Amino acid sequence: MIRCHNISKSYPMGHGRKQVFAGLDFTIGRGERIGVLGRNGAGKSTLIKLIGGVELPDSGRIEQKMTTSWPLGFGGGFQGSLTGYDNARFIARIYGANYNDISAFIEDFSELGRQLKMPIKTYSSGMRARLAFALSLAIEFDCYLIDEVILVGDQDFQQKCHDEFFGKRGDRAMVLASHSPDTIRSYCSHAVVLGNGQGKIYEDIDEALAAYAAL
Amino acid sequence: MASFRAGWIVQARVIKALMIRELLTRFGRENFGFLWMMVEPLMFAGLVGILWTFMRGPMEHNGVTTAAFAASGYIPLTLFRHMVGRSQLAFSANGGLMYHRQIKLLDFVIARFFIEVIGSMMAFLFISGVLIVAGLMPVPAYPDYLLAGWGIYCMFVLAISLVLAPVSEYAEWIEKILPVTTYIMLPFSGSFSMNAWLTPGAAKYLIYSPFVDAMEMFRYGIFGDMVTPIYNPYIPFYVSLPLMAVGLLLCRKIRGRLVVE
Repeated sequence: MIRCHNISKSYPMGHGRKQVFAGLDFTIGRGERIGVLGRNGAGKSTLIKLIGGVELPDSGRIEQKMTTSWPLGFGGGFQGSLTGYDNARFIARIYGANYNDISAFIEDFSELGRQLKMPIKTYSSGMRARLAFALSLAIEFDCYLIDEVILVGDQDFQQKCHDEFFGKRGDRAMVLASHSPDTIRSYCSHAVVLGNGQGKIYEDIDEALAAYAAL
Repeated sequence: MASFRAGWIVQARVIKALMIRELLTRFGRENFGFLWMMVEPLMFAGLVGILWTFMRGPMEHNGVTTAAFAASGYIPLTLFRHMVGRSQLAFSANGGLMYHRQIKLLDFVIARFFIEVIGSMMAFLFISGVLIVAGLMPVPAYPDYLLAGWGIYCMFVLAISLVLAPVSEYAEWIEKILPVTTYIMLPFSGSFSMNAWLTPGAAKYLIYSPFVDAMEMFRYGIFGDMVTPIYNPYIPFYVSLPLMAVGLLLCRKIRGRLVVE
């Protein structure tokens, strides 16, 4: 379970501060899939980063009772000048995982082939996302934080991701940020809607999507 | 207690991973690889030693050779200068890694500190080995003083890094004044002379510099009774421990403000 107690976040902007959201309060239970809806710049990535412990809230508290992936997306979490394999080795080390198992899995899952021997900075954003997904699946978490990019890449890769996340790991919790109402509707049971410096959790997806459309 | 232990294990794992990563990104796998980390202190100490030997001639201090004196002075100094450079904006430079929650800000500073300390120690072992064989340096007379001096020097460098790393994130102008600061502090670095060789007035004030105290002990450990050290072993602790405490507080404070791309 992950519990967000009354969290607020703002960033410095000019001489003042920009409130991203305030007093946000919700719980992610085991196996629960929560969508995060909002316009560009509404704070979807910010919320995911707070849950992932990448940034800290201004006030409030986030209680972690299950293992959580780092925010999976197009960037972040990698060192650009190192190769895919070196990054995998680094991540295996810090998560205390066995590198040989991981490298075998990412070769198979990411389909990046010889590109894994190249520095990450030469990767396209889709390729980075493939590697990030592959690594996070290899390490196994109770809760996956997915920023924007669910089902990247071509049809085949989309199918593989779908099978891994919703088939084999259908029992895992997930926080999924997206612009797409269809994605949220098909995968999530609740959603947080962010906008106008506020955030609200909706237990019902249709209500959430209506609130999002009204923003 | 169990969770404290588990926390230590994770931190040790992270620091080790960061060190390997840092060595790979800085030195790569080609040619010397990680051995490069001792090349700069070695060249500094070696070349300055040669330069001074020719420019200043032999020293008139009880048989302390110029080469050995330069080597013993420059290797700690490079540690300090490297750490000053490495601490600046260490957090923003590594920001992408904050995606992994078990990596703490402190780990960046500690990993870099270990790399620099190990590099300097390797360089020192190498150059002192060469100088001892060449008969230019005595076998360390008091290894306990040598180690104590080196340890105290490292402690003070770590204390400075712990403060500098968060402060450089708060105030960018720090970066502009650091080169002049590290230059101006050279006379207070203890690298270029022994207190006993200066006027008593100067020595009286210089023992307030933790660097000077550490260097006096370090050199006493090497040269033994060829030199007369003047130092206060407590001053480095009086200065470093509060600095470390402030540094840790600042690191904690900056963590909340850090924006990760």
